[in-house]
Amino acid sequence: MAIKKDLSVTYHGKEFMNPFCLSSSPVGSNYDMVSKCYETGWGGCFYKTVGIFIADECSPRFDQTNKEGLPWLGFKNMEQISDKPTELNFEYMYKLMRDYPDHVTIPTIMGSSEEEWKQLAKMCDELGAPMIEGNFSCPQMTSSAMGSDVGTNPELVKSYCEAVTSVTKIPFIAKMTPNITTMEIPARAALAGGAAGVSTINTIKSITNIDFENMTAMPVVDGKSSISGYSGAAVKPIALRFITNLLQDEVIGKTEVSGIGGIETWRDAAEFLALGCKNVQVTTAIMQYGYRIVEDMISGMSHFMDERGYNKLDEFIGCALGNIVPAEDLNRDFKILPQFSDDKCVGCGRCYVSCYDAAHQAIDWDADKRRPSLNDKCVGCHLCLNVCPVKDCITPGEIVWKEGRQQKEIALKHKYD
Amino acid sequence: MSKVVKAEYTAEAVAGFNARTAIEEAARCLLCHDAPCSKGCPAGTNPAKFIRSIRFRNVRGAAETIRENNILGGTCARVCPYDNLCEEACSRCGIDRPIEIGKLQRYAIEQEEALGMKILSVPAEKKAGKVACVGAGPASLAAAAELAKAGYDVTILEREAKAGGVLTYGIVPSRLPQAVVDADIAKVEELGVKFVFNTTVKAEDLADYDAVFVGIGLWGPNLPGIDGIDLPGVYAAVDYLKAARSGAEGFNAGNRVLVVGGGDVAVDCAVTAKLQGAEDVKIVYRRTIEEAPGNLNEFQYALSLGIGMTTGMAPDSIVGDGKVEAVNFKGFRDEAAKLTLSADTIVFATGQKAEAADFVAVDVTDKKTIVADENGVTSVDNIFSAGDIVNGGKTVVEAVAGGKAAAASIIAYLEKKGVK
Repeated sequence: MAIKKDLSVTYHGKEFMNPFCLSSSPVGSNYDMVSKCYETGWGGCFYKTVGIFIADECSPRFDQTNKEGLPWLGFKNMEQISDKPTELNFEYMYKLMRDYPDHVTIPTIMGSSEEEWKQLAKMCDELGAPMIEGNFSCPQMTSSAMGSDVGTNPELVKSYCEAVTSVTKIPFIAKMTPNITTMEIPARAALAGGAAGVSTINTIKSITNIDFENMTAMPVVDGKSSISGYSGAAVKPIALRFITNLLQDEVIGKTEVSGIGGIETWRDAAEFLALGCKNVQVTTAIMQYGYRIVEDMISGMSHFMDERGYNKLDEFIGCALGNIVPAEDLNRDFKILPQFSDDKCVGCGRCYVSCYDAAHQAIDWDADKRRPSLNDKCVGCHLCLNVCPVKDCITPGEIVWKEGRQQKEIALKHKYD
Repeated sequence: MSKVVKAEYTAEAVAGFNARTAIEEAARCLLCHDAPCSKGCPAGTNPAKFIRSIRFRNVRGAAETIRENNILGGTCARVCPYDNLCEEACSRCGIDRPIEIGKLQRYAIEQEEALGMKILSVPAEKKAGKVACVGAGPASLAAAAELAKAGYDVTILEREAKAGGVLTYGIVPSRLPQAVVDADIAKVEELGVKFVFNTTVKAEDLADYDAVFVGIGLWGPNLPGIDGIDLPGVYAAVDYLKAARSGAEGFNAGNRVLVVGGGDVAVDCAVTAKLQGAEDVKIVYRRTIEEAPGNLNEFQYALSLGIGMTTGMAPDSIVGDGKVEAVNFKGFRDEAAKLTLSADTIVFATGQKAEAADFVAVDVTDKKTIVADENGVTSVDNIFSAGDIVNGGKTVVEAVAGGKAAAASIIAYLEKKGVK
């Protein structure tokens, strides 16, 4: 009997049956799509961004990056906010809220002026939306009064948040752009403007590939291309970094954050939750694989909780945040030498090559036996462990303490995928 | 000189995946819409779903899918004729080669064991109905598991000392290790199914049961009526494999061994002979390779062990003074063909016969196989049957499918009868 766990979580006062939501994007842009996603198991949907502005889209509008045959490491998207009439989008959202009362349908809005933000917020208020997300972060808008250029300007973010919260009491979430060094600044501005919290990251401004046929970037639109947003697995590390910064901020850390960026599996989602996100939002993996990926998110998360003895997500939400510390606070008193399994080793010599060319020439190579051995130059960097293609062949071994440093019990990682 | 593989009789011939190689293989999967592999599995194991789970880092979910859909998930991972089923259906064949579905299934089931998962359970509220399953082979095990999962009281009655049928007394352990079979059977036991061994079932033994499932397989030897067939050194495949598997006293696999037949059982016999130390082993089949019912991978494995194969020749007579010394073959279609091979052992893997199921009064065919429809329904209301005794000898996965379907019929019958 398939395992069942309570995956519910409360976010801005609203209970979500599970933390898995669609992010505002092509994957949730009409009634039928969102209806199907709910039937498949998603807990909520941040509906495709609605504005007064109606997008006029280019063709084609997507590209992807790959490495050694593995496609979709990253994904580039030139689509803007909804290209459907505003009233039609609100009608769809009304029907979704009516037909799926146990799922959470959240309008995402974007104005180009205080008046537009107010107008859209009033429409959400009349809709009775459970919360509203404000998109301050789309990097491919054809209007510079909208999108991520706004999101990098704390004054504009604050004034638009004030515009929204002046006309509605519904919790307002500001969706932040990663196209900035210090996200805490606009995020604090959003809170100062009355926002209840933030969600992040939106896509990263990018050029994925250059096309030599037309000597422009991809995708090629009549021989030209533009910078636009990058997403997918490649951006997850960047998302986790911004979220860590936000949640470690003493003001923003008191609010509830929704995590976005490269989530494909339950494990990715659990990472965002471990940092403190209350839910997660997904688009790119759905574009590649479809709504069905949520089935393994639900099942995998349930098994994870069962294995770890968690009964509620809240029991592990945020538990990793405090263990991410400034570089100067790390214990630098020891090194962990790698240990090599001669039995598992297949004799490829990749550890030797990388150690010599990129580290400390700490591996000697036995050309006859085709086996590595460690010499006394090893600094414990574990480049070899990371480059080794064989599972559990190179593993953490002996702990060596630096001269004169106090030895004590240290926490170690044992299992590597 | 060709380099042949040296293998051991009880050591599994094919290495499995680890966490890294499994996800690499799963990443090759195209994640098809309306996946043809899942449609290609007779037992409904749903490979598309479990491969997707492996790919999305949910190996526990993968094991769950397999075990819930196919109680013999570990066994089928080893013995399924994938190249005729899910892997033949795989859309990736249109690009290069199919996903190694069987090996991924094996990996997930190995993880089930390694992670100490307990996937199946019985409902807290038991049903009143009592069901007997006669025979402890794949069809019965599958039927018993489904019935136990639905809350019925199930007893398996088995003639031999161990459960498994052909899995335990037939298929060579280098293809199907006994530990894999035992682990699958343990899942049936964990569901509370009772096993009674060393019992020959009589009609009166079944009187107390509300329904009976007959899954007795085919165990009658099938030997041709040719000269010399009674000489020592002549075996039927069932007897030869069973003696080898159970380590019967005085059993000698032979030194110059001929195996007659073109199915997986013929390969099992030849591999058994080779791995038990026979110097020269040949398979002789009367038709062509394309007509052979066996799995090509299995023939290739036999070849890799140094086993030869001759086609187009049928045995004509066995000669020897008090024991097998040589076998004369004649062309099956080629009238000019003649062949004499020296041998001390000849094994006939030319199918098995049904033994009379005289403990139930069901309609049977002229070959004594039981007449039942695809849902296991026989001519008698409360008697159901599936597997080799119905289909005349097919695959393990088809026996599992038949057992599952029959269990659904039994549940429907008991509910209709009001035994809830």
